[in-house]
Amino acid sequence: MLRLWPLRQVVSSAGARFIPACQKSTAPEPAPELVEVFVNDKQVFVEPGTTVLQACAVAGIEIPRFCYHERLSIAGNCRMCLVEVERSAKPIASCAMPVMKGMKVKTDSPVTKKAREGVMEFLLMNHPLDCPICDQGGECDLQDQSMNFGSDKSRFTDIAFTGKRAVEDKNVGPLVKTIMTRCIHCTRCIRFASEVAGVEDLGTTGRGNEMQVGTYVEKMLQSELSGNVIDLCPVGALTSKPYAFTARPWETRKIESIDVMDALGSNIVVSMRTNEVMRVLPRVNEDINEEWISDKTRFAYDGLKRQRLTTPFLKDANGQLMQTDWESAFLAIARKLQGVEGSQMAAVAGGLVDAEALTSLKDLMNRLGCETLCTEEIFPMDGSGTDFRSNYLMNTTIAGVEEADVVLFIGTNPRFEAPVFNARVRKSWIHNDLKVAMIGAPVDLTYEYEHLGETVDVIEKLAGGNHPFCKVLESAKRPMVVMGSSCLQRSDGSALHFMVSTLANRVKAASGADAEWRVLNVLHRVASQVAALDLGYSAGVSGVREAKPQMLFLLGADEGAITRSDLADGAFVVYQGHHGDQGAQMADVILPGAAYTEKDATYVNTEGRAQLTRQAVTPPGMARNDWKVLRALSELLGVTLPYDKLQEVRQRMAEISPTLVRVGEIEEANFFKQAIEATKAGKTSLGKEPLVPPQQVLKDFYMTDSITRASPTMAKCVQAATEAESSVH
Amino acid sequence: MASRAVQQGFKQVKPILSTNHHEAKRRVLNLYKAWYRQIPYVVKDFDVPISVKMGREKVREMFNKNKHITDIRTIDLLVIKGQMELVETAQIWKQRPHIMKYFEDTVNERPADFLGKFYDGHDP
Amino acid sequence: MAATLTSRLFGQISSSVRNGIRRSYAAASGGTMTTQPGEEDKVTTITVEDKMDITPLTGVPEEHIKTRLVRICVPARNAMQSGTYGTRRWKIEFDVRERWENPLMGWISTGDPLSNTEVTFSSKDDAMAFCEKNGWEFFVEEPKKTSFKKKSYGDNFSWDKRTRRSTK
Repeated sequence: MLRLWPLRQVVSSAGARFIPACQKSTAPEPAPELVEVFVNDKQVFVEPGTTVLQACAVAGIEIPRFCYHERLSIAGNCRMCLVEVERSAKPIASCAMPVMKGMKVKTDSPVTKKAREGVMEFLLMNHPLDCPICDQGGECDLQDQSMNFGSDKSRFTDIAFTGKRAVEDKNVGPLVKTIMTRCIHCTRCIRFASEVAGVEDLGTTGRGNEMQVGTYVEKMLQSELSGNVIDLCPVGALTSKPYAFTARPWETRKIESIDVMDALGSNIVVSMRTNEVMRVLPRVNEDINEEWISDKTRFAYDGLKRQRLTTPFLKDANGQLMQTDWESAFLAIARKLQGVEGSQMAAVAGGLVDAEALTSLKDLMNRLGCETLCTEEIFPMDGSGTDFRSNYLMNTTIAGVEEADVVLFIGTNPRFEAPVFNARVRKSWIHNDLKVAMIGAPVDLTYEYEHLGETVDVIEKLAGGNHPFCKVLESAKRPMVVMGSSCLQRSDGSALHFMVSTLANRVKAASGADAEWRVLNVLHRVASQVAALDLGYSAGVSGVREAKPQMLFLLGADEGAITRSDLADGAFVVYQGHHGDQGAQMADVILPGAAYTEKDATYVNTEGRAQLTRQAVTPPGMARNDWKVLRALSELLGVTLPYDKLQEVRQRMAEISPTLVRVGEIEEANFFKQAIEATKAGKTSLGKEPLVPPQQVLKDFYMTDSITRASPTMAKCVQAATEAESSVH
Repeated sequence: MASRAVQQGFKQVKPILSTNHHEAKRRVLNLYKAWYRQIPYVVKDFDVPISVKMGREKVREMFNKNKHITDIRTIDLLVIKGQMELVETAQIWKQRPHIMKYFEDTVNERPADFLGKFYDGHDP
Repeated sequence: MAATLTSRLFGQISSSVRNGIRRSYAAASGGTMTTQPGEEDKVTTITVEDKMDITPLTGVPEEHIKTRLVRICVPARNAMQSGTYGTRRWKIEFDVRERWENPLMGWISTGDPLSNTEVTFSSKDDAMAFCEKNGWEFFVEEPKKTSFKKKSYGDNFSWDKRTRRSTK
C-alpha cells in the first residue's frame, strides 16, 4: 500500500490558505491555446493537458480500458490503453499521458495491436475461465475486449499443475458479492470508495502476484453508495448479491425510468424479465445523478414483490378486511359517501405518489366539494408558504453545487437524505475546494465541514450578522444554503423557514453573486412532495386534524401521520396504494395501486424538474394504475373526471402547472424577495431543541418508505449495518 | 408530447397501377363488382352459415372501411390486396375459418368505455 | 416496381382463366389495363402527398395504431460496461400492455405484438417519419448531454489539493 503523507495534513495546509475555487473561475481566463493532435492522421484540437485517451475520444475513437474511468482519478495501472505515438520508443498509456503539440497517435497500428494483445494475455493468464457461471457474463469488459483485442491463443501452460492464481473471497456486506479470483486489479472500486463514496474501506495489500484488493480485515463496505462498485468493476469480481444467478443481460428488457426512493429523481434503467423487475441500474444524467445511484435505489426492488396489495379489500360486518372486486369496492365507497358533505371529507397523499394520481385525486375531491387535500410531509404554510415555488425548491439545482464555493447545511443529513447529491458535494469539496458548514446534529458527511452548532439560535445569529461564520458567507461569491425538509417537520418549521430565507437573502445581497445565482435551497426527502405542492396540496396533515373528517382518502400515505383518533368517530377510511403498510391497516376499503416501476408517471424532483417513469412490469393481480383507479371511482361517484387517456391527464396537469409536463427541464423560480416580504406577517417563535435529522447513521438509511420496509435486502442491510456499528474494525 | 406539426407537401412518384383518381376508382369498382358476383359461389363452395346477403353486406363493409383514402398508390395497393384475397377465395386456397374470420362472430367484444376496460383489466 | 406488380397480377389472373374457372372475378382489376409491350417503358409519374399513411395497408389492428404511444430515444449506455457503441442509434419503444402469468407453468404471456419490436434508426427524423407513417402517436426524448472534463494524472500528486491520493 503506497502511502504518501496523510491527507489530513495536506487538507489542513490547503485550508489555511483557503481560496474559493470560483474566485479563479469568475475571472475571465484567457482562452487557452488549443493543441493540435493527430489521431490516426485525423486532426483534432484539444485543450493542453488533456490526456491522449480523451483526445482520441474527441476524434471519435474509443480506446479500450479497464482502470480508466471518467469520474474517477487516473490510475494508469491496467495498461490496456497502450497506443503507439510516433517518435516514441515505447507504446504509451494513453489514459495518463497528456497530449503534446503535433503528437501523432496511432490507435490501430501493429504496435498498438501487439501491445494490447500482450496486456490481454497477461490479464487472462490469471483470470479464471468461468464466464459461463459468472454474473458479469454478457456485459463484461474483459470478455468483450479479449474478443476484440486479445490473441486467439495463449502461452499459459500450467506445467507444474499449480493452477491459476487464486484469491480468497471477501465478505463486504449483504449487497456486494466478491469473487476475488476474477479481480484484475484495476482499482476502480478502491478509487470509487475513497473518492466518491468517501469511505476509506477498500485498498490493496501485497504486491506483484500477491496483490489483493479488499478491506484487509473482514468488514462491511459501509457506504450508502456501495452498489456502484458493481457497475464499476470491469470484470465479475464484484457483482450484485441479490441479483446473483438470476438473469443474463441479453434476456432482460431495459426500461429507462426514474427512481422515487429519494427526492432527487435519479435516472435509472429497470431490467425486466418475465414481468419481474430483475435489477435496477443507473443511467447517466449529468444534471442529477451523474452515473451513481444509492443502494436504496439499486436494491430495494425486491420490496416490490412483497407485501403487495393485489386485490381490493372491503371491511365486512366483523371488521375484517375481505378480498373483493373493484365494482363492489367502488360501490361501497359510493354508498358511504352518500350524504357526506364535502367539508367532512379529507385526503392525504404519501411520498411515493405520482403527479397524475395527485391531479386526479385533487380533481375528484374538489368535485365532491372537498378542499382538505394534504401531503404527509410537512412544509410551512404560513405567510407566503407554498405560494412561491422558490420557497420549496432546490433553486441552485443539484449540478449547481459544482459552481458554489460555500455550502451551509441546515438541519439535514444529505448523505442519507440524498446520497447522490452528497456525492456531488463531496466531488466539489475535492475538486473545487468547496467549503462546507453545517447546523444540526454532527453527522459523518464523508467530507470535512465546519460544525456551527446544533441549535436554532445559530441561524438567528447568522441571519442577524453576528456570527463569525458570516464573514465566510459574505466573502463567498456563490454561496448556497441548503435546508433539509426534515427540520421543517418541527412545530416551529415556519419560523425556521423564515429565518433561513432571511439568512439566504442577506447572504445573497452581501456576497455580490450575480442576479441569477440563487442561494436558498430546500432538500426534500420524498419524491411526490414538489409535485403535490405545485398542484396546490397543503403540506402537512394539520388541516385534517382540525377538520375531524367523516371520510378520509389515503393515497399511498404510509408514514402514519394520521391515526383513527384524528378522525371523527366511525370515520370511513379509503386507502389506495401498492403496499400493505400503515395506511392499509387503518382502512375500511383498500384499492390496490401500482408502484413506480408499474406505471408511466410523472415525478417532480427537489429541483422542480419533472421526469417520466416508464412502465416496466404490469401491476400485480387486480392492481391498476393510480390515476385510472381514481378516474373509475369518480364515475361511480357521479363526478366523472374528464380524462380517459394518459395524454389527457397530462393536458390537465399542463393546465394547472405547465412545469409538470416540461419533462427534464427546470423552470426557474425567482421570487425570493416577495416571498420573504409576504412571510413577515405570520412569524412565530423559534424552538430551543437542537436540529436533529432523523437519519443519522447508516442503519437509519435503508428503510424509509413502504417499498424499502417490505424489502428483505434492505432488512439485511439494516442488520449488517447494526452489526458493523458494534464491530471493532 | 404529440406528433410534430404536419407539413404536407407533394411529390412525384411512379404509379403502382393507376395514373389518376378516376382510374383508381374504376379499379375499386371493378374489384367490388367481382367480389359481389363471387359471393354466391363463396357461400356455396365453403358451405358457411351465412347468406348471400350477409356476405355482400360484409364486402360492402370492408370496402367502406377504406373509403376515406385518397392516396392513389394506397388505393392501388388495397385493390391488389383485395384481388389476392379474391383469387385465394375463388380458388379455394382458403378454408372455412378464413372466411368466417371476416365475421368474427365467436370473438367476445371488448368493452369500449373506460369503466368497462378498467374492470376488464385491459389497457388502455 | 409498377411494372413487376402489374405483370404479376396479370399473370395470376390469366393463369386462373387458363385453369378454366369461368367465374367473373378475373375482370377485377379494370379494363384499362391493356398494357402493350414497350408501353411499360414509358415513365409516367403521378402527384401524391409527401407523407404516405400506410396504416390501411399494414394489417396492424386498429387498437394497436390509435392507442399506442411511442417513445423515440437513444438507448442509455449500459452502466456495467464502458463501451458506447450501443448509444449511437435512435430507437422506438412502445408503451407497455398487460402481461399475465400462465397459472400452470408460470410462463409470461402478452397480447401485445409490438412490445417485441426493436427498430433502430440513424436519426430521430427517420424515427419520427416512421411513426407518422404508421399512425402512432410519439414523443421524442433527447439524449442527455455529457460534459467534457479535462483529466490529469498529476492531480493524484498535487501537494495542495484534495485531489491528492494517499492510498491505492
